[in-house]
Amino acid sequence: MSILTDIVERVRALLFRGRDEREMDEELRFHVEMETAQNRRSGMDGVEARRRGLLALGGVERTKEEVRDARGTRWVEESTGDFAHALRTLSKSPGFVTVAVLTLAIGIGGTTAVFSAIDTVLLRPLPYQEPGRLVRLYQAYGRASAPRGFVTPVHFLAYRAQLSSLQATAAILTYSESGADIGGAEHPERIRVLPVSADYFAVTLVPPRLGRGFEAAEENGAPVVVLSDALWQRQYRGDPSVVGRQMMMSGKSHAIVGVLPPGFADPVAGAIDALVPIDVTPGKDASNASNHYLTIIGRLRPDVTVARAQAEVDGLDRALGVQYPAAKEKHTGIEPLKSDVVAPVSRSLELMLGAVGLILLLVCVNIANLLLVRGSERGREFALRTALGADRSRLVRQLLVESLTLALLGDVAGLVVARLAMSAIVVLGAGTIPRLEQLSLDPRLLVFSLGVASLSAIVFGLAPALRAARTQPGDVLREQTRSTAGSSGQSRLSAGLVVSQVALAFILLVGAGLLLVSFERIRQIDLGVATNDVLAFELNLPGARYDSTARGALYERFARAVEAIPRVRAAGGVSKLPATGGYNSWGVQALTGPVANSRAGSIGAEERVISGDYFRAVGIPLVAGRIFDGRDDARSSHKVVVSKSTADRIFPGVDPIGQRLNTGGLDCEVIGVVPDVAVDAEGKRDSYVYHAHAQFAGDRNWALTQVVSAAGPAMTLVPDVRAALAALDPQLVMYHPMPLTDAIGRGTATRVFTMRILVCFALVALGLAALGLFGVLSYAVRMRAREFGIRMALGAPRGRIRLSVMKQGLGVTAVGVAVGLAGALALSRVMQSLVFQVSPTDPHVLVGAAVFMALVAAAAAYLPARRATSVDPREVLQ
Amino acid sequence: MSDERSELLQGTLEMLALQTLALEPMHGWGIAQRIQQFSRDVFLVAQGSLYPALVRMKRRGWVKTSWRTTENNRRARYYELTVAGHRQLDAERVSWARASSAVNWVMTARLTPEVS
Repeated sequence: MSILTDIVERVRALLFRGRDEREMDEELRFHVEMETAQNRRSGMDGVEARRRGLLALGGVERTKEEVRDARGTRWVEESTGDFAHALRTLSKSPGFVTVAVLTLAIGIGGTTAVFSAIDTVLLRPLPYQEPGRLVRLYQAYGRASAPRGFVTPVHFLAYRAQLSSLQATAAILTYSESGADIGGAEHPERIRVLPVSADYFAVTLVPPRLGRGFEAAEENGAPVVVLSDALWQRQYRGDPSVVGRQMMMSGKSHAIVGVLPPGFADPVAGAIDALVPIDVTPGKDASNASNHYLTIIGRLRPDVTVARAQAEVDGLDRALGVQYPAAKEKHTGIEPLKSDVVAPVSRSLELMLGAVGLILLLVCVNIANLLLVRGSERGREFALRTALGADRSRLVRQLLVESLTLALLGDVAGLVVARLAMSAIVVLGAGTIPRLEQLSLDPRLLVFSLGVASLSAIVFGLAPALRAARTQPGDVLREQTRSTAGSSGQSRLSAGLVVSQVALAFILLVGAGLLLVSFERIRQIDLGVATNDVLAFELNLPGARYDSTARGALYERFARAVEAIPRVRAAGGVSKLPATGGYNSWGVQALTGPVANSRAGSIGAEERVISGDYFRAVGIPLVAGRIFDGRDDARSSHKVVVSKSTADRIFPGVDPIGQRLNTGGLDCEVIGVVPDVAVDAEGKRDSYVYHAHAQFAGDRNWALTQVVSAAGPAMTLVPDVRAALAALDPQLVMYHPMPLTDAIGRGTATRVFTMRILVCFALVALGLAALGLFGVLSYAVRMRAREFGIRMALGAPRGRIRLSVMKQGLGVTAVGVAVGLAGALALSRVMQSLVFQVSPTDPHVLVGAAVFMALVAAAAAYLPARRATSVDPREVLQ
Repeated sequence: MSDERSELLQGTLEMLALQTLALEPMHGWGIAQRIQQFSRDVFLVAQGSLYPALVRMKRRGWVKTSWRTTENNRRARYYELTVAGHRQLDAERVSWARASSAVNWVMTARLTPEVS
C-alpha cells in the first residue's frame, strides 16, 4: 500500500514537475515572509529581518535542491538530461551515427526477419488442434528411390476401417490436385481445388466457420464444395447466406456447403481455394491395390506413440499382402506431420540462421569497432572533463546512455528493415516454402530485437566507457599531445577486431560464392529438352462439358490451331512437364523379348500422357520408330513411346519397336523410342513411358500442360494463343502462361530461395566488412597523422608513407582471410549438402573471395592514407 | 538565548511534525513555530530540512496538502494528517517511549556493590 502510494506520488511528481516547482517556490517565499515579519516584530530593521529569515531557512536554493531530492525523481530527471545530452552529442557526428544505425538496422532487421521465418516454419506449431498428434502415411513400392510415395485407395480404406491407433484417417488428393474454372465467361478465374475425404475435418480438427464439412455419403465426388475464406471474400464479399447456393466449377454446378476459417492452409498442399469430396470408390476395387495416388494424414489417439501405430500398420500391411497379390512387398511408413512438412526446407532455414548469426557477429564487431574508435577519439575530452572534476560514474552512465540511444535508433530502423525483409522473404519463398504465407511480425520478436539492441549497446558501450573512466586523465592528456600513434594495447585490440571482421565476412562470401557457382551449374544442366522460346500454360477442359472423346479431340484440334499461328514451330501437351519432379511412377512389365514376364523385365517408369506434337515442341528428338499420329485414337490398340533406358532395361539386346509391355493394367505396343529426359531440376535422368492422350483420355481428366515452341520470345505469343483458344471455346482459361524455363525453374525454388537470401547476406556482409575495415584503418591512419607529418617534414616521400599504410592494412586483412579460410574449411561439411556439382573447397571461390577482400581492404586503407598525406606537414605538426 | 537551544535529535523531526499536525492542519512555517514553542524554545527546527521531510511524508501518504488562506489572508500550503499519518504517529510514539526510557535507564544506571 505505502509502496504503491510512493510510486504514484513519484510518478505524479514526475508528471507535474512544473507545478511542483511553482508551488515549492510559493511555499518557501511564504516561509521567508513569515519569518521576516516575525523578526521585524521583534524589533529588527527590514533588511536584517529578511536576511535572518533567509538564514533560518538555510539558503533557499539548497532547500529547494533538498526538496527536489525528497521527491525521488532525480535519477529520472538526470537520465532525461543524459538522453538529451546523448542526442546532442550524437547529432554532432552524423556520419558515425548513420553508419552505426545502419549497421544495427541491418543486423537487427535481418535477425528479426529470419527469426520470424524460422519461428513460423520450424518452431510455431501447425495451426491445427494438438498438431503433435498429426501423422502422415507413406508407401514404399517398386524402386527403392521412392520410399515416401503415395498410398493406394485400397490401403487407405483398410487403414481407415481397421487402424485403432488412429482416431481419424483422411485422404487428400495432392497427387493430381487440379484446378477449376469459375466466374463464367466474363471474369474467368482458375482456382486450386483439393479433393479430401470426409474425415479431413476430424483429422485437422478445424471446423468450417460456416456450414459443414463433408459427409461419408459424399465420398463419391459429389458436387459439393467448401470454400476458403479468401475465395468467399473474393467471390461473395463474405456473404453468410452463400451456404446452400450453387457455384459453377469448370462448367459443373456445385452446392456450397461450408466456408473454411481465415488463414486455413492444408498441412501438405498449403493454401488452397476450395475443398471438394474425394471419390473413394476406386478403393473398393481390389485391382487398385497397386494404384498409388493418395496422400494419407491421420490423428493419433491420445497416448498412442508413432512406434505403436507403425507396428499396427505393419501388421495390417502383411494381412493386405496376403489378401491382394498386388499389395505384396509394399511397406507403409508413418511419420509425425510436423517434421514431414518442414523436413525438406529445414536445412535451408538452418543455413539462413547460421548466416544471420554470422551477420550479427559481424554487426557486433563493427559496432564495437565504431564505438572503440569513437571512444579513443574522445579520450582527450573525457580526460579533460575528469581532470575538471566530472564524476566518473556519471561519465560512464552518459556513455552508456549514448550507446543505448544509438541502439534504440538502430532498433527502430531495424524494425523497418525487418518489415521490408519479411515481405521480401515471403515474395522470394511464396508457394515453395510451406506456411511461409503465414509469416508475420509478432510481439515476442519486438522484445527479441529490443533485447539484441540493448545487449549490444551495453556490451559495446561499456568497454570504451569503462576504459575512459579508468584511465588517468594526466596520462591521456600527455599521451595525446606527445605520442604519434595510439597506444599499443588499443591498436592490438583494433587489429584483432579487424581480423575477426574480415574472417567472418570471408566465410559468408565463400558460402555465397559456392552457392552462386552451384546455381550457375544448375542452370547449365542438360535436361534433355530445349526450353528456350517455349511457352507453357495449363489448360483444363471441364468434365461437365467435355467427355473423354471431346477432350481427346479438343487437345489435338487446339495444337493444330496454335501451330497455324505464324512463328509457331510446334504445339502439344503433357500431363507433367519434365524436370519438375516425379509424377506417375508406374510398374512396367515386358511382355515380349528376352526378359518377358520375369522379374528382370519389371521396372518402374515415369508415365506421361501427351497430345499434339509434344516431342517437337520441347525438342525431344525421335531415336527410332515413329511418334503418335492421327491413327492412334481411342478405337485403335494401345501404343506407347518409350525412352531409351526403358527400352534398354526391359528389351535388352533386341529392337524395341513392335515389342509389347504392360503398364497401368494395359497391354501396349512400343512404336517409338526417344531419349531419356530429366525428372528433376538437377538433371537426374529417368525412364519414361509416353501415352497418346487421344487413347488415354478415358483414364481421367488429365488437364494437360500445353507447350508451344516458336521463333522469338515465348511470352509474345500469349495474345495469339489466347485468341486461338477463344475461337475453339471462349469459356476455356489459359492458366498461368509463362516461359518454359520459368515453369521448369520452379522446381528449384527452394534452392533459388536459399541462394538469393545468402547472396543478399553476402553483399550485406561485404558492405559491413568494408565499412568496419574502413573505419578502423582510417582511424589508425588519423592517429598517425602527426607521425606522417614528421616523416614528411624529414623528407619521406608521400608515396612511401601511403605504401606503408596500405601494407599494414593488407597485412591485417591477410591474417583475417587466413582465419576465415580455416573457418570456411571447418564448415565445408555443412556446405557440402547445399552445393551442387562444386566442391566446398573450390579454389576459384576461395581465391575470388580473398581477392575481393583484398581489394576492399586496399581501398579502405588507401583513401585515408591519401587524405592524411595530402595535407601540409606544418599544419599537422602545429 | 542560543545557549539553551539545541539541534533536533536525529530522526525525530518527522515524529514531531506529525504530532504538531495531529492537533490541527498547519503550514510549514507554522509547524516549525509550533515545534519551537512546544519544546519551550529548546528545539530550533533547521528549516532547510523541514520541507524535504514534508515532501517525504507526503510521498509516504502520511499527510495530504491543500492550499488555504491564513488568518492574515495569505495563501499557504497546509499539511493535514491522513489516517496512515495517525497510525504512523502512534507507532512512532510507542517506539519513542521505549527508546527514551531505555536512554534514561542507561543514563541513570549506577554501579551497585552486588555487581563485582
